[in-house]
Amino acid sequence: MKDHLHTSEDQLNLPEEFSRRSFLKLAGFTFAGGVLAGCQQSNLEKAIPHLIKPEELVPGVPLWYASTCAGCSAGCGVLVKTRDGRPIKLEGNPEHPISRGGLCAVGQASLLGLYDSQRLGAPLAHGKESTWEQVDAAIKAELEGIRKRNGAVRFLTGTITSPTTNELVRRFLSTFKDARHVVYDPVSSSALLDAHERTHGVRALPQFRLEKATTIVSLNADFLGTWLSPVEFTKAYRQGRSLQGTPPVFSYHTQFESRLSITGSNADERVSVSPVELAHVASRLLSLLTERAGRRLPVAVPLLDERLERCTTECVERLWRTKGKSLVVCGVNDVAIQVVVNAINEVLGNYGSTIDLNRSSYQAQGNDTDLAKLLDEIRSGNVSALFVDGVNPFYDLPGAQELAAACETIPLPVSFGERNDETAEHMHYVLPQPHELERWNDSEAIAGIVSLTQPTIQPLRPARPLMETISIWMGTKESAYNLIRAEWERSIFKRQTREQSFTQFWNKTLHDGFAIVEPKRQAVSSFNPAAVAESLRQLSTQSLQQKLFVELHASSTILDGRHAHNAWLQELPDPVTKIVWDNVASLSRKRAESLNLHEGDVVRLNREGGRVIELPIHIQQGHQDDVISVSLGYGRKGTDRFHHVNPKWLQAKPTVEKGGTVGTNAAPLLEWKGKTLSYFVSGIEVERTGTNRQIAVTQEYDFLTNPNLLGESSGEKRNIIQQASLATFVANPSAGSFPKPPLDSLWPEEHTYPGHRWGMVIDLTACTGCSACVISCQVENNIPVVGKDEVARNRELQWLRIDRYYEEEGETLRVAHQPMLCQHCGNAPCETVCPVLATVHNSEGLNQQVYNRCVGTRYCANNCPYKVRHFNWFQYPRGDEIARMVLNPDVTVRDRGVMEKCTFCVQRIQLAKIEAKNEGRALRDGDVKSACQQSCPADAIIFGDVNDPNSEVSRKMKDPRTYRVLEELGVRPSIGYMTLVRNSDGIAVAEGGMKNG
Amino acid sequence: MAEILSTLRPPLVLGNKSYADITDDVCSALERKSSTGWWTSFIIAVGVLILGAISVGYQLVTGVGVWGLNNTVGWAFDITNFVFWIGIGHAGTLISAILFLFRQRWRTSINRSAEAMTLFAVICAGIFPIIHTGRPWFAYWFIPYPNFRGPLWVNFRSPLVWDMFAIGCYLTISALFWYVGLLPDLATIRDRAKTMWRKKIFGFFSFGWDGSNRTWQRYEKLYLLLAGLATPLVVSVHTIVSWDFATSIIPGWHTTIFPPYFVAGAVFSGFAMVLMLMLIVRKVMNLEDYITLHHIENMTKVIIATSGMVGLAYITELFVAYYSGNPYERFAFINRALGPYGWAYWLMVTCNVVVPQFFWWKKIRRHVGMVFILSIFINVGMWFERFVIIMTSLTRDFLPGSWSGFTPTILDITTLLGSFGLFFTLFLLFARFLPMIAIGEVKGVAGVKRATPPGAVEKRKEVAHEPAPVG
Amino acid sequence: MKLLNNRMTTVVLLVAVVLTMSVFFTSFTSNMRLPDNHQGFEPVQPIAYSHRLHAGELGIDCLHCHGGAEQSRTAGIPPASTCMNCHQFVTASILSVREEDKLAAKESRPPRKIVSPDLQKLYRAVGLNEMGERDISLTAEGIEWIRVHSLPSFVYFNHSAHVNSGVACQTCHGNVETMERVRQVSDLSMGWCVNCHRDANANGINAKPVNASIDCDACHH
Repeated sequence: MKDHLHTSEDQLNLPEEFSRRSFLKLAGFTFAGGVLAGCQQSNLEKAIPHLIKPEELVPGVPLWYASTCAGCSAGCGVLVKTRDGRPIKLEGNPEHPISRGGLCAVGQASLLGLYDSQRLGAPLAHGKESTWEQVDAAIKAELEGIRKRNGAVRFLTGTITSPTTNELVRRFLSTFKDARHVVYDPVSSSALLDAHERTHGVRALPQFRLEKATTIVSLNADFLGTWLSPVEFTKAYRQGRSLQGTPPVFSYHTQFESRLSITGSNADERVSVSPVELAHVASRLLSLLTERAGRRLPVAVPLLDERLERCTTECVERLWRTKGKSLVVCGVNDVAIQVVVNAINEVLGNYGSTIDLNRSSYQAQGNDTDLAKLLDEIRSGNVSALFVDGVNPFYDLPGAQELAAACETIPLPVSFGERNDETAEHMHYVLPQPHELERWNDSEAIAGIVSLTQPTIQPLRPARPLMETISIWMGTKESAYNLIRAEWERSIFKRQTREQSFTQFWNKTLHDGFAIVEPKRQAVSSFNPAAVAESLRQLSTQSLQQKLFVELHASSTILDGRHAHNAWLQELPDPVTKIVWDNVASLSRKRAESLNLHEGDVVRLNREGGRVIELPIHIQQGHQDDVISVSLGYGRKGTDRFHHVNPKWLQAKPTVEKGGTVGTNAAPLLEWKGKTLSYFVSGIEVERTGTNRQIAVTQEYDFLTNPNLLGESSGEKRNIIQQASLATFVANPSAGSFPKPPLDSLWPEEHTYPGHRWGMVIDLTACTGCSACVISCQVENNIPVVGKDEVARNRELQWLRIDRYYEEEGETLRVAHQPMLCQHCGNAPCETVCPVLATVHNSEGLNQQVYNRCVGTRYCANNCPYKVRHFNWFQYPRGDEIARMVLNPDVTVRDRGVMEKCTFCVQRIQLAKIEAKNEGRALRDGDVKSACQQSCPADAIIFGDVNDPNSEVSRKMKDPRTYRVLEELGVRPSIGYMTLVRNSDGIAVAEGGMKNG
Repeated sequence: MAEILSTLRPPLVLGNKSYADITDDVCSALERKSSTGWWTSFIIAVGVLILGAISVGYQLVTGVGVWGLNNTVGWAFDITNFVFWIGIGHAGTLISAILFLFRQRWRTSINRSAEAMTLFAVICAGIFPIIHTGRPWFAYWFIPYPNFRGPLWVNFRSPLVWDMFAIGCYLTISALFWYVGLLPDLATIRDRAKTMWRKKIFGFFSFGWDGSNRTWQRYEKLYLLLAGLATPLVVSVHTIVSWDFATSIIPGWHTTIFPPYFVAGAVFSGFAMVLMLMLIVRKVMNLEDYITLHHIENMTKVIIATSGMVGLAYITELFVAYYSGNPYERFAFINRALGPYGWAYWLMVTCNVVVPQFFWWKKIRRHVGMVFILSIFINVGMWFERFVIIMTSLTRDFLPGSWSGFTPTILDITTLLGSFGLFFTLFLLFARFLPMIAIGEVKGVAGVKRATPPGAVEKRKEVAHEPAPVG
Repeated sequence: MKLLNNRMTTVVLLVAVVLTMSVFFTSFTSNMRLPDNHQGFEPVQPIAYSHRLHAGELGIDCLHCHGGAEQSRTAGIPPASTCMNCHQFVTASILSVREEDKLAAKESRPPRKIVSPDLQKLYRAVGLNEMGERDISLTAEGIEWIRVHSLPSFVYFNHSAHVNSGVACQTCHGNVETMERVRQVSDLSMGWCVNCHRDANANGINAKPVNASIDCDACHH
């Protein structure tokens, strides 16, 4: 891969002729092919070649660029695949130290944002389109005035990991007497940093090393879902939970949480607790551990109820045994709890081993205290210039209305952004930002890991990156490229010793996409116990008596709402609830019954201060009874663009009403607890509205057992997911296996596979259900978005779905995620029934679907035991011309009336084979990576040639854990699944297991 | 030539008719102006047909998505209707071919319209396999024909291809059979025709039939041959249709009992439909003397028998499901009876097994009104039988993660209605322009008093048309 | 009357039979065109570029301009810059240049620069004036060639795979080096492709054994 990488520099001095126009022509030309699939060819097709072809560009051959993901601030490394000058796919950069080849759903889908024709095309002045010159002039003038009268200048941004931008902002602000850079995160981790300020004297976010931890205790931290840096954590988590070696190094993970998160669904033990209980559990853990350490706490900590007491004591037992190799993380934005958690880690001696404060992380820099201060200033009207970048305070903060009113008094409110969003509305000037794939940028997400972002396309919109704007305002008219280069030469180059000349260093970094340098030193003082006592006191005051909380959390697809314009993510089923195109109020069955509510009933959540939101309810397994959880990020302005993302027909319901929004904004419920934003909100009353709203889900039945139609006992369990506990696995590698059915046949083998035979193995132990593969597949294979109504009618089109099954044993809930895609059966039921030979077996074991031959009888889908075939019920809309530029020219765009399904990314197979042939060599293992495999953050999917005895997939196929779903049908699937192993044995058993392992 | 009258057997034609009377009774219906009754029913039928045509048109333009189908349920109303209509068709062939070979002479007065019904039912059925596809304009790919694709043939392993052949040949044979049967009567109408055009048209279609002995002999031979050809079709067609399901692997479909089960069901529903039509026809066209209670009774007896078979099939299914020990199979049938579509299952059982038992009572067998109502029930039941088979199996198959449901859209329903519209439109046209009763054959079985009717011309013509004893 | 009926019937039946038969047979024998078959398509191009001259007389290798054929799916249409490599010097046919020289000699004046009308089009396309000189007032247009060989977009044909396994350009494109204007020689039907693949598997390409896949998804994906 690496040596394929190109750099965008040569595009800097592109001849004028290679303008956006001529590029569009080219794009138009190449993609005409894509869309007309199946239609008649007009014999007057125009073909417009380049006038002067860029050196490295060969039409029809993809170019790869190493860059940095901007889906969130985690700073994962990506490889951008461009075809004929346009990016068509983002994939994980295997070399990148943070993401190590993984890329989450959000990151991959961020590609679509580039081709969004609703991005701002010109700067806005007082709501009207204007020119850069005018805007700059006006703002400069204003700034001069402010400078003279020493007005307060405030720069309000989200977490910025770009050292150059930060430096520029600093310099820019330094030209004013009274200027401050305020950073906040819409889903805040501020408390985590504040806590370290109190306990370690440095306000920093440590780097958590989950791979080093053998015991992980998470207090409501959804680190596999949306917390801080999910891909990094997933990679590490998996590394720490491998079944290789005897005894295997397999961490134990307990999750204390109030709602069912992705992380919780993967935990070995999951304890559902109310927010109050959570606080007490934290203190209890600390007190028990300090006792173990032979010390005493200054404050008495109350005992918990029997259930929690049991769980905590076991936790403590395990933690203590793995002192220094354990890790306790907490996702609650409450300084007190965070301080206690720090104390716990301190007692366990995890600092320096599983928690790294010297190589701290910059992935979340938000500071709620600063924010609160700024808001006060704004209210009291002492802010003369407000610059907003990367956040949307008028949407994602509580009390947006008052704030808006207060902002009227600001003489110079300016916002930078890609779209005309809620904040932009209240600004005098809106300066459009380019998409991350159109621009130069840099990032230092974790101290010492610096990476570059390079443009992979000529800008589609005349936007201007923040750093250029600032340099212009400061009178130095420098391009972003030069600014970054300069900054790197000045500061970053000095932090490394490997490369002698800067140019070498720069070129290498640009090629690799990243570089490792010395982290900035910061004065970490030793642990300060003073803070703890006071925090414990705070926590103990919270009474344990029952009351109703609302938990607000980031959406696992559109995060804090920054991706609400992204149709791919809107239609990506939530990994747990499987809901699309909506946010809901999730609650437990018990609570729902006590409130006499049914799935989809719309309720009104009232909070004092007249803050009200209306949401349909969703009954969720494993949900704590005293908590109603609501996802943030929905209800964004302008999401009514999806009004007719679904096909129009007689009984079609629009995905969102005209002028309406997708889902409801829950931010108004957010609550200031002192100087931090709290995501647990009490004092909520639930009120039924009497109406019911349809919730679109992709999975209607959630259990492995049949419904009890003949009374309680009759619910028979289906052999679909093999499960085993770690101890039993250690004792017997094929533990939990289903009985092997006799598969001998009277017939001679129908297919012989002389050359390759493609197969896949999916490790259910590794899979977290994060759904990165679903998006990866959708992007790679031109799968259209079908809209809420179609999904509600169970017509979603994603080729790869993740079945999520619940198992309830008493109070413990087991969750299993099973990626389900075409199994490419050796004995495929779909092939025999197709009347026109549109789906047939090929010589390499692929089950081919020939779209242009398909008549659409749907017989194949009926006869498919896995139900992985998807039908084009309509001509699904694919957006405007710009949006269609994202299409992969190597994959046919399907028309209405044809069946489609996973092809094992046959286009990649064909390409790899041709490349090998052209280079006169045999295909190597790993030459072909399916899209789903490439970016899986958990490396759960292995694809390759089963005929090659040394290929990883064929080795995995022989693994005793490997089985096939519905093997007894004799359809001979080409996909093997590996037993789901959980570290779920009681502590005694676990120990025993380890010994005899 | 005239039938030997038995004192034991009830006469097949009542109101001791002369040949002339028979001819008049049958033909006059076509010669007099059409009644308002006919017009009203015709207009209704055409109206419904147009409704159906519009919805199908809309579906062709928009996509199959306008039906309530989804990823899990690929077939619902469309294939249900298809199997239903094919089933209806069966009675006709059975009556005309098998009963003919078995010398069941009572068939003569109903076979004509039964065959017509077959034809129309098959036409209705034939539409669905085409319009249910996503790209009907490529439906011709089902046919193996020489092409420039390498060449690329059809998949002879696919039951849908077998269907195509089965239905194709069923349609052809029954059309031929029906038309050949019509020839002598067409000639009769030709000869009675007053207007020149009527003469020309019927003249053309009667293939210049002259009542000569030779013609009659040829006719009888051909008729016998066709009967022989048609007989296996009665069994084959629905057997093959049942293979659409039986050869699949979906629990509840993958069953060896389907062929006999489907054939029995087909005959069952077919006879019910014939009864419905006959009861209307004999009233409207006042043919009570030809389609007597005796006929009705016979048919109800066939219904009891076939209903028994169907009932047996239901029980066998359940037993086999239990006995197989296959968990998926078991659940499929538990779910069929108690799952979300349980109501449909019990409706089916009631209509197809319980209701027909009333026919054990002679009173009911001979009570026209009752027979009519019961036969409607049976038709409803048989439609639901197919619906239940398709729906319960598809909605709850192997992986619970992909389970789903089905709710019909408006267009599902209008399309179903439309097919009935088409059926009745065709039947009404037939009733209006062609002899409902095989004059020639009925004469063969009617006990006739040797009277010399007035009008020598008339008489001479009659003689020309006297049939040779059948067989 | 009856006789006439008999005749009519027989005639009608006969006609019907004959018609069906004839239709059936012509489908093989005659050279009927299927809708998507553009065999023999020979459009007039915006610039009358002569393959006969360049590839034939001057013997320039196909890959010199259509380099993509070696490395990519598409052979590609050369960028105007490729033409300019030569045509910034060669502005007209040698004959017309000689003419001018003679004329100039006669009129005893320096020979004027001669630019052939088609090259004028080229110069305009790249943003030069008719005489092929820079002119800032002009902008580049690009040349809208008309595509001759185009497969249905659900077919994926990869040039590099074929060129590198030794298939000559002429095998599919015919003797382009003899064509003044490019014409589609083959019918590009699926049968045509598949049979060539079958043949290649049987006899190899120039006696070199090859593995030409006849799986559907070799071309349809």
